[in-house]
Amino acid sequence: MANRPGGAMASRPLHFIWMVDCSGSMAADGKVQSLNSAIREALPHMADVARENPNAELLLRAVAFSNGARWHVANPMPVSEFRWDDVEAAGMTDMGKAFRTVADQLRVPPMSERALPPVLALLSDGQPSDDWQTGLAELMAQPWGKKAVRIAIAIGADADHDVLSRFIGNPELRPLQANNPEALVRHIRWVSTVVLQSASAPGTQQADGSPITSNVVIPPSDPAGSGPTSATDVW
Amino acid sequence: MTGVLRPGQTVGTVGSPTRCKVGRLLGGGGQGEVYEADLGGRPVALKWYHRHTATAKQRKALEQLIAKGSPADQFLWPLFLAEEPGIPSYGYVMALRDSRFRNTSDLMTRRIEPTFRCVATAAFHLASAFLELHARGLCYCDISFSNIFIDPQNGDIRICDNDNVGIDRAADAAVGGTPRFMAPEIVRCERKPCRETDQYSLAVLLFYMLVMHHPLEGAHEAAIRCMDVPAMNMIYGKEPLFIFDPANPSNAPVPGIHGNAIEFWPLYPSFLRALFVQSFTDGLRDTQRRVTDSQWRKALVRLRDAIMHCDRCGSELFYESDPSEAAGRRCWSCRAPLHNPWRLTIGGQAVVLNGDTRLYPHHLHAAPTYDFTAPAAEVTRHPTDPNVWGLKNLTSATWTMTVAGGDVREVPPGRSLPLAVGTRIAFGSVDGVIEG
Ligand SMILES: Nc1ncnc2c1ncn2[C@@H]1O[C@H](COP(=O)(O)OP(=O)(O)O)[C@@H](O)[C@H]1O
Ligand SMILES: [Mg+2]
Ligand SMILES: [Zn+2]
Repeated sequence: MANRPGGAMASRPLHFIWMVDCSGSMAADGKVQSLNSAIREALPHMADVARENPNAELLLRAVAFSNGARWHVANPMPVSEFRWDDVEAAGMTDMGKAFRTVADQLRVPPMSERALPPVLALLSDGQPSDDWQTGLAELMAQPWGKKAVRIAIAIGADADHDVLSRFIGNPELRPLQANNPEALVRHIRWVSTVVLQSASAPGTQQADGSPITSNVVIPPSDPAGSGPTSATDVW
Repeated sequence: MTGVLRPGQTVGTVGSPTRCKVGRLLGGGGQGEVYEADLGGRPVALKWYHRHTATAKQRKALEQLIAKGSPADQFLWPLFLAEEPGIPSYGYVMALRDSRFRNTSDLMTRRIEPTFRCVATAAFHLASAFLELHARGLCYCDISFSNIFIDPQNGDIRICDNDNVGIDRAADAAVGGTPRFMAPEIVRCERKPCRETDQYSLAVLLFYMLVMHHPLEGAHEAAIRCMDVPAMNMIYGKEPLFIFDPANPSNAPVPGIHGNAIEFWPLYPSFLRALFVQSFTDGLRDTQRRVTDSQWRKALVRLRDAIMHCDRCGSELFYESDPSEAAGRRCWSCRAPLHNPWRLTIGGQAVVLNGDTRLYPHHLHAAPTYDFTAPAAEVTRHPTDPNVWGLKNLTSATWTMTVAGGDVREVPPGRSLPLAVGTRIAFGSVDGVIEG
């Protein structure tokens, strides 16, 4: 017999989608291996954030893009059931197809009318090989695409910051540069925790007390996070 | 997981000759890492700040908090500063939260299923703890799920993350608070955290715990598609409206979306609902009209006293003393109609007499303090006839009882009087009457 009536408190879905570049260049210097391990490392931290935010029902998915784009994890999964099987690197960088694939799933339906802002986390090490502008336009034509918190991580020196910035679409947020595996781990952890927290409970105030006007307030990433390329950097 | 400190190493404590031995890393947050540690044989927790959060200002604040001392046992208060030559930054030692305590978000997602009595007890402890904190001229600034822990067996609580506690009305609070818990005037950037904004956040937390829902999330919230910053500012800051505002029903909870609010709210006695109405109508706009910690404490003790059980299925229910409110009430579990329980009414307030009810000193004297360690009376069964119930005198004074027919008897310490409707008991400074 239940001790009290009712159910879990009301919550809104929070869709979190990894969009990962699996082009051939990701095979160099162990980048794709680092990415696989960094995402898996971040999952328990994501679970902690999810646990402390009962207002958000976190649902994870992943798109992999190379020659075309495909759902690596197609069904939105709670973090406790989410499994990251390693992605492999081969082929082109069809980022535009990835945008389109995500745009299709951000329509209502399958998306619910009421939700928290989705988080789209894009990771790439190079230049798109397809028509990314049309793909991005399709993504941004979806209300949930426009409302999404869009974050990008540039892996290595050849990533296209212009494209990533266009995806982010917010001059206050720059792509995070990862020049070595440690930085990649740090950035992926930041997206999985700080950004996830911000989307779960969109802040209402800046630290300095000034009102904010953007969609979701994201605290700055760790200052150690995106330093200039140093001699010891691997990528 | 590895941190800045290594298990087995020791760090110095400021103001204590005992060195602190570092144990397992418990977790990391925005400000630092927290380790299990040992201080001269006593298990403690050690927080070590990240380099960029280890400011001189934070250190000064910690020194002040340590000097003031903990307001109540529920706070995992800073006890000593910790530092070590050769290791950057600094930390502090505090009491360790043991594993019987669970995060309050586990309550909200129903990973723990405490009884109503347990939740009411936890709510009482919270109000008491914040009363003590505020009495010392401090404000907590960040009352929210992630800082409050509850023992689902007995309602004990622990409050962590006390390093942001500020001197009330000191201009520069370290944090603005947590979304959904922040007072509307903070959301609107009109004010900084202070005692009155703590009182708002406490009312939100109590509502969350008791009603399993946010007090401002009704039809207006349901109509919003994307809950982003502009939407949050609207619901929690610019146009806040209580979901049970008697003067304005436009933000009522929506069936199918806000089910908990609809199910839980009518179960509570009207005296408790009245305090929530005050908190989230007048108190929403006028900080002077917020329900104070001591009002909550008193009401939550009364809420514990109102717990009764369904005749048919035994589920916990609440006694409603207002007959017009009580009419038509049914058990939330089996839908059986509610009957008035046996109760002892003292000074107009009812204590339901269940098989396990105990009375405490505050019931029998208008005592200002609540001490639940030494009961003054308890409901007992007759030693030879289990159908006869009694009230046992656990005090050192003799009571006088007058039964309905007028007979007068003395009830010396250690003896029990039989429970019968109409019996009056003179406890000394107050009188009670048994009603049924
Ligand atoms: N006294 C304590 N006993 C046990 N665990 C603690 C204690 N204080 C904090 N923790 C745990 O350590 C972690 C980080 O603590 P927290 O105070 O949230 O850090 P921050 O303020 O940096 O965010 C959390 O998982 C918290 O539950
Ligand atoms: Mg914290
Ligand atoms: Zn029943």
